[in-house]
Amino acid sequence: MKDLQSVDSLLLKELKLCCAKESSFLPRDSGLRILEAAPAENHNAVSAKCRDANVEELWGLTSFFGYSAQTFVQAVNMLDRFLTIMKVQPKHLPCIGVCCLHMAAKMVEEEHVLSPTRELIRISHSKFTVSDLGRMEKIISEKLGSPEPQAVTALTFLHLYRSAFEALTAGREELPSIGTLEAQLKACTCRLVFSKAKPSVLALSLLAQELNALQSTTAMKAVQQLQKHLKISEGELLHWREQVGRCMAQYYSGECTKPDNKKLVWIVSRRTAQNLQANRFCVPGLPTIPEGNWDESESEDSCEDMSCEEDSLCGSPGSDGGGAYFPSTFRSTCRE
Amino acid sequence: MLTCNKTADRMVVDAPNSNGPFQPVALMHFRDVAPAEQEKLFIQKLRQCCVLFDFLSDPLSDLKWKEVKRAALSEMVEYITHNRNVITEPIYPEVVHMFAVNMFRTLPPSSNPTGAEFDPEEDEPTLEAAWPHLQLVYEFFLRFLESPDFQPNVAKKYIDQKFVMQLLDLFDSEDPRERDFLKTTLHRIYGKFLGLRAYIRKHINNIFYRFIYETEHHNGIAELLEILGSIINGFALPLKEEHKIFLLKVLLPLHKVKSLSVYHPQLAYCVVQFLEKDSTLTEPVVMALLKYWPKTHSPKEVMFLNELEEILDVIEPSEFVKVQEPLFRQLAKCVSSPHFQVAERALYYWNNEYIMSLISDNAAKILPIMFPALYRNSKTHWNKTIHGLIYNALKLFMEMNQKLFDDCTQQFRAEKNKEKAKSKEREEAWVRIENLAKSNPQFLVCVDSSDLNSPVAMETDVPSIEDVQRLRKTVEEGATQLQRDQRKERPLVRRKSELPQDIHTTKALDSHRRGEDMLTTHDGL
Repeated sequence: MKDLQSVDSLLLKELKLCCAKESSFLPRDSGLRILEAAPAENHNAVSAKCRDANVEELWGLTSFFGYSAQTFVQAVNMLDRFLTIMKVQPKHLPCIGVCCLHMAAKMVEEEHVLSPTRELIRISHSKFTVSDLGRMEKIISEKLGSPEPQAVTALTFLHLYRSAFEALTAGREELPSIGTLEAQLKACTCRLVFSKAKPSVLALSLLAQELNALQSTTAMKAVQQLQKHLKISEGELLHWREQVGRCMAQYYSGECTKPDNKKLVWIVSRRTAQNLQANRFCVPGLPTIPEGNWDESESEDSCEDMSCEEDSLCGSPGSDGGGAYFPSTFRSTCRE
Repeated sequence: MLTCNKTADRMVVDAPNSNGPFQPVALMHFRDVAPAEQEKLFIQKLRQCCVLFDFLSDPLSDLKWKEVKRAALSEMVEYITHNRNVITEPIYPEVVHMFAVNMFRTLPPSSNPTGAEFDPEEDEPTLEAAWPHLQLVYEFFLRFLESPDFQPNVAKKYIDQKFVMQLLDLFDSEDPRERDFLKTTLHRIYGKFLGLRAYIRKHINNIFYRFIYETEHHNGIAELLEILGSIINGFALPLKEEHKIFLLKVLLPLHKVKSLSVYHPQLAYCVVQFLEKDSTLTEPVVMALLKYWPKTHSPKEVMFLNELEEILDVIEPSEFVKVQEPLFRQLAKCVSSPHFQVAERALYYWNNEYIMSLISDNAAKILPIMFPALYRNSKTHWNKTIHGLIYNALKLFMEMNQKLFDDCTQQFRAEKNKEKAKSKEREEAWVRIENLAKSNPQFLVCVDSSDLNSPVAMETDVPSIEDVQRLRKTVEEGATQLQRDQRKERPLVRRKSELPQDIHTTKALDSHRRGEDMLTTHDGL
């Protein structure tokens, strides 16, 4: 068993500083409980399911516009904090969500990566306008306290922990990539339950679960060391590790759900729309001619010998036009 | 030869086989003769209608007699429609003969004024001048065929292979009305004359083969395909080998032809009918479509996408799995197409519930193929509508399987970074070479500061063997390197090609003197 190196003191100081700050960025506990308690199909109050659906939308937009995971996490943090201090109607939720995303993007992303608000609105098929968004922005920054510095989130801790781990294990252990960890954190963020956790604990739980799969004792020892430094209780860590475990089990299950595309709006150009209309199907005007098993011969040579075949077909139905070939309705319409 | 006018160059023809001369009088009406005499009158009228009139070079000739014929035809149509037991045995040969005389003619060549090929998509068709009569003949013949008194066993003596062959040749008519009648007529003949079916199919195949591989010109492909659609619909299961070969060797190559738009809906219907009859044909059909996929003709590409969606609408899940990878590779190319209609049409597949359910069952294979194309175009495509559709498609993928989507995103980003790193490396290598060259003490001597791009004079000394070998090795390495790396965006510089000049042309141009030079002006200007 290899000995662990010690954590760099600067890194440790930063970790402790973040720990101290993190509670100020937590969404209000009472608000979270209200969200969880609200029934799913309520039109007056936002429910957990509603919030989760909205967060998934935000993830879609983040991915599409090429924003980073940091933008996403910041946006969700703002959203959760806002929802827990304000009573919001579900119909305003999309606007709040997109607004948070935009504000987060402005904080985190570089100028050239930012998309204009009208693009955000157009792509997300939102019903509100650019000015609505502007007003919402003012409201949110007012309620959350502006200018809003970047929140300390689980993502912050993930980055720090990872660097710490590298130092602790002196690069001898294979650590999960930051991309994988970010993706897992994103999956967790999409569920309201994880907003109750302290970011430091959540990040450590995530890391611990992932490392557990690697079955490395050195790594687990490193986790314990960090836990000790940051004074995280064993019970708390276990609780959240269990939650994370369940979430990851579903995430990794690999089962594909059939998507529901009824919520999506499909806007196509006029020409394509015309083309699609025109093809909505040209029903053929000619009635079907059934092929009998006993009619024509198989090979082409007997084309010349038709006469000898036909005698046997004399008694076939339909040769007098009154048989199965043409439905009677069709015949009567031709009489005019 | 009896003419109605003294002028010799009238084109009134007396049918060579009619018994007796043409009666220049209007015959009596059916209702005015006793039932016993009606058959004889019928035959007389039929024979009278074997006389052809000139509608083309002299439309105003013989107006009276043209009207007589028209009235007779019209009356006969009514007669057989509303009367029973009037189609007796002697009638059959007369009717067939009358039809043959009127219809079986050499079609005029395409009347396009510029002498170019008739373009079915663009040009106005030339209508048949004799239509007032021809229409009635067609109608009469059709009623004749459809009459409850019609007996194929009697008629088959007269409606034989030669008749059918001549009928099929008429399908090349430019007049769409004529083709419509021909379509219905042939359809009825196919239905009633079992003995002629194989022959008809063979002859149609020949028409198609000639169209695809020799002329690429025929006006009646759509009508023929419509008839075939109703035949295919009636195929018995299991499908005969002959029919499968027809699909693979005739119907699929019909997709290649330039004028596909004229008959595509009918062709697509035939193909889909085949697949509904026998789903094991799916794989060869889809692979053939992908093989014939248009590479430069975008409207045709949209047609192919229409057809492909119809095929996917009826595809069996087990067959889908066999073709999904090449199919989605082609779709990925379509989605990235700069032609917005192609991209839109391809993206609209995501609105099809059945296709989405097929995709979600096979997402692990499909998503890695589609993802890069979608993601890359999400911002870089010039058309805004496409952005919206790409977002929908990506969103549906996201909902399907989050982990798979995240994996694809990560992989995409990783590859992009790798590409960036590689191009940066190459850039640095060039800079290094340049610096190395500049550090050469002979640099200032060799460089021509006024024109750096002018060709350098060749050395008169022969280069050494080692130099040549080193050069060869570098060139080989450079060539393979270029194949592997992706090309960096470089502005294209057009170079004008130097064409060798023909000595006779140059001389002729030099010696040419303009007329004005030779003429002297008289006004002293």
